Amino acid sequence: MSAALPKVLCLKKGVLLKQVFALSRAATPRESHLCAAGDALLSCHRHYRSHPAHGIGRFKYLLPKEVPKKKKDRVQMKEINAGTDYEYGDINIQMTSYDMCLVEHFAQYVHKLCNRLSIRVNESYAMPTKTEEVLFLEGRGSKPQLDAVLTTHQRVIQISHLSSTFAPILLEIIQSNQPEGVHLLVKEHTEADFKSRLKARPELEELKAQMN
Amino acid sequence: MAASSAVHCGLHRGAVMAAPRARWACGMAAPRSWRLFGAVCLLRLPRITQPLQKEEEEMTALMGQIELEKSHYSDHEIRKLEEEELLRRRKESAYDDEEPGKTVIMAQDLEDKWEQKFLRFKAAPRITDADESNSRTSLNRKLDRNLMLLVKQKIGNQELWLLPQEEWQPGETLRNTAERAMATFLGDHIEAKVLGNAPYGIYKYKFPRAIRTEDNVGAKVFFFKAFLQSSDLSQAEKKGNHLWVTKDELGDYLKPEYLKKVNRFLLDLPVLNKY
Repeated sequence: MSAALPKVLCLKKGVLLKQVFALSRAATPRESHLCAAGDALLSCHRHYRSHPAHGIGRFKYLLPKEVPKKKKDRVQMKEINAGTDYEYGDINIQMTSYDMCLVEHFAQYVHKLCNRLSIRVNESYAMPTKTEEVLFLEGRGSKPQLDAVLTTHQRVIQISHLSSTFAPILLEIIQSNQPEGVHLLVKEHTEADFKSRLKARPELEELKAQMN
Repeated sequence: MAASSAVHCGLHRGAVMAAPRARWACGMAAPRSWRLFGAVCLLRLPRITQPLQKEEEEMTALMGQIELEKSHYSDHEIRKLEEEELLRRRKESAYDDEEPGKTVIMAQDLEDKWEQKFLRFKAAPRITDADESNSRTSLNRKLDRNLMLLVKQKIGNQELWLLPQEEWQPGETLRNTAERAMATFLGDHIEAKVLGNAPYGIYKYKFPRAIRTEDNVGAKVFFFKAFLQSSDLSQAEKKGNHLWVTKDELGDYLKPEYLKKVNRFLLDLPVLNKY
């Protein structure tokens, strides 16, 4: 049955195609599910180049050309703080802890809370982990013996358009639900915070210093 | 002096007022018929998290077990397993090879050392109110709940338990009035922070007819919330009539109408957790 189909498709055109497909859908329930299921676009029998209906579904060449996005670091937006509406600009909520699961769960909680309270969350990112080695000095003057490795994890959630009447309530909720062992810091977003996420480029700085 | 018996006015205001500050700051020329008070609700935030419920505990145990079974060995555990293997092989082969690892610290020794250190560590008790035997004047009670300050104030000719309040002087903001109230009752060096300029609630009452005049219809009390930063209040408490209570215990001390207004802006923890 499927062998007969290509011949049918080549001979008839246009409106008859759909009828043929309807027949084939009823006749061949098992084989070639793709043909049986949909319309002509989903067909696995595409016309050859010499067929008049070749390229019948093309449309991408008709769309306007998109300029490819440049991969540059975006400059941050800064909003005025005390406008007439008394709204805060970008605010960073930084959560730091030694326990990664705890701080991640808390960050998720704060994010969901902001979603629930319709506060716009701009970004939610993690700062790189800092590892510290703690060496215990056993007795006076002896070599440091025991050591422990402490990892500090930090998660940052950036929110904006927080009204000044709602800010105390939000802060109270976050503070009350703060788990033990998590440091909370709420501050305004500055350029320094933005730059701290980027890697330092020593060659560029050297060249700049040479220029100046 | 404001009177004690409060006749609750039918009007009803929202808990958070978004009124601009200019309205309260500029002195009104016409005399007000309502007297204004600023009150502060000083909160000590909870210090430890609430105990888990039964379902939460079961879930934590189950998740912990699943994670343990799915996890890989850590460096320390790999080292420990290798050393155990080495020891076993050495015993079976009856000390064939020389013992190069005599001075090396084994992983098992480290574990014993850590275990001993852990046994020496003593955690602070979670339930100190058991020690304090429910003395409501101390701050160490109920470490997992919010505690707020109540003071006994003389209003009219009655002594009442209230949130500390002060009368508003023209020329200052209501927030300053609330901070002043806090300072009068707790001393100047209080590490408490009022977070916003907007009040959290309002309580309005009319004076009893005996005292009511044309100019002095009643009083409005605006509540502000402050958070206690440090828990060291030893040098601050001068007057003895103060209490630190939780939201449930407020009902024992406050009048019902007052309590109704105060309860509107108090967030209690089991409710917050529902988010």
